[in-house]
Amino acid sequence: MIRFENVTKVYDQKARPALDSVNLEIDRGEFAFLVGASGSGKSTFLRLVLKEDRATSGAVYVAGQNVAKISSWRVPRLRRGIGVVFQDFRLLPQKNVFANVAFAMQVIGKSRSVIRDTVPEVLKTVGLEGKEHRMPHELSGGEQQRVAIARAVVNRPGILLADEPTGNLDPTTSMGIMGVLDKINQNGTTVVMATHDDDIVNEMRKRVVELKNGVVIRDEAKALYTSMIPIVGQSRRLKDASGRETPDAGLPGEGSEGTEGGAQR
Amino acid sequence: MRLAFILSEIGSGLRRNLSMVVSVILVTFVSLTFVGAAGMLQMQINQMKGYWYDKVQVAIFLCSEGSTAAGCASGPVTPEQQESLNALLESPAVAQYINDFQFESKEEAYQHFKDQFSNSPIVDSVTPDQLPASFRINMKDPEKYQIISETFSSQPGVETVIDQRQLLERLFSVMNGASLVAVGIAAVMIVCAILLIATTIRLSAFSRRRETGIMRLVGASKTVIQLPFILEGVIAAVIGAALASATLWAVAHFFLGEYMSQQYPDTAFISSGQTLILVPALIILGGSLAGISSLLTLRRYLRV
Repeated sequence: MIRFENVTKVYDQKARPALDSVNLEIDRGEFAFLVGASGSGKSTFLRLVLKEDRATSGAVYVAGQNVAKISSWRVPRLRRGIGVVFQDFRLLPQKNVFANVAFAMQVIGKSRSVIRDTVPEVLKTVGLEGKEHRMPHELSGGEQQRVAIARAVVNRPGILLADEPTGNLDPTTSMGIMGVLDKINQNGTTVVMATHDDDIVNEMRKRVVELKNGVVIRDEAKALYTSMIPIVGQSRRLKDASGRETPDAGLPGEGSEGTEGGAQR
Repeated sequence: MRLAFILSEIGSGLRRNLSMVVSVILVTFVSLTFVGAAGMLQMQINQMKGYWYDKVQVAIFLCSEGSTAAGCASGPVTPEQQESLNALLESPAVAQYINDFQFESKEEAYQHFKDQFSNSPIVDSVTPDQLPASFRINMKDPEKYQIISETFSSQPGVETVIDQRQLLERLFSVMNGASLVAVGIAAVMIVCAILLIATTIRLSAFSRRRETGIMRLVGASKTVIQLPFILEGVIAAVIGAALASATLWAVAHFFLGEYMSQQYPDTAFISSGQTLILVPALIILGGSLAGISSLLTLRRYLRV
């Protein structure tokens, strides 16, 4: 569904690249976490998928299409196939829940009857039945994020990109959101989620792609937030300080599934 | 659906930016009024030129029934007198100064008069008999008017010899000067209007950046995102153009048509109906100015 071939993105010639020769493939229907410190290239990754930026070199394929070859007037069509969710929800404050979700359908010219049928259905999927007429400020953060997710998936995109969707939410609410994303994933949508939230990653046991300074340093299936690979020394030290994990002397290679030792919560 | 959506977006944009929209309307109104005023002055000049102005320079009016001039003591011009005047015009002594000449009968004079004064009530009280027949002369060199005047003034049957250009040229140069001033003011005002429209659209795009950001993300086309902004500017400018047209029409109807034509019944004024040809021109001018300036602004300030 998403394939990066040797992708490098340089914002500033003098600085190090934001992404450095990244090779990555995310299959249709997969659920992948993108983890890494701030500045590691997670957001750049998402921006390249959306064609908000051009890769400096290498090729980005979305749904089999090289995004560099999509002409500017067809970019909207690419974006219709991709839903996006942000940390700050980005709802329209003067529209109610129904109108916020319907907005995504109106702007691409869906008919009123289709909107009337689809929106309640999607709101039900994200668990917001009966709240159609609430205004965003009347909702909790978790509910607002559910509205944002509903808006992102209402046009049935093949891919859902989530940029730290639980960054503003407490752990319980976050788990609820993850349930929604998981449900959407089980309906066949590819989900790529950039996050810092280790609890969630550890709980979900999905594929984890870790970026550091623009390089993929880990790509494991059913993995945990932190790995035992020695290169992530710094993040491990932080973990040690918080006392949540026991350090584990140098272990396994990338991509292997047997990296759980000692990192269990 | 999409149309309804775009319309509602325009409505909310206009409401949110009301004071800016009003100022755009007023500035385009004032600037297009000046443009239209220049146009009206030119139309008025054409109206006053009448049928002969561009074709001939000198007119020899022949005596008619009520002529009181000294040369007409013997009554209206006779066919023989007319014949001898014609011969004189064709004689080499005179012919060397003129390109050609035409005879305008009373009937023709009436027809041309009716055309020129079609907007004035005076046309109803004039009959062909009251208008003099004339020879209309196209000079090789308009400066040689004196020669023609001296030769023909004293001829029997000639009421008077008039150099029409000299009569009107002064007035026309004043009016041309006035329309140049109007165009100059209009140019400055149009620059103001363009800058104001650009600022308005910029503010509008800024105040709705949340919406446009979401529209981008869910894959709205460039048209759907930009059109409301462009139409916002165009609608404001078209309202301004409509106000300018209404003002010009009112000036032609009430000031020229009802006041000036009473004060100067012997001058041909343009009718209010004639100003209507300015309306589509002003609306297209206003609309395209707004459309182009908002399109250029959006290109810089609204990412799609």
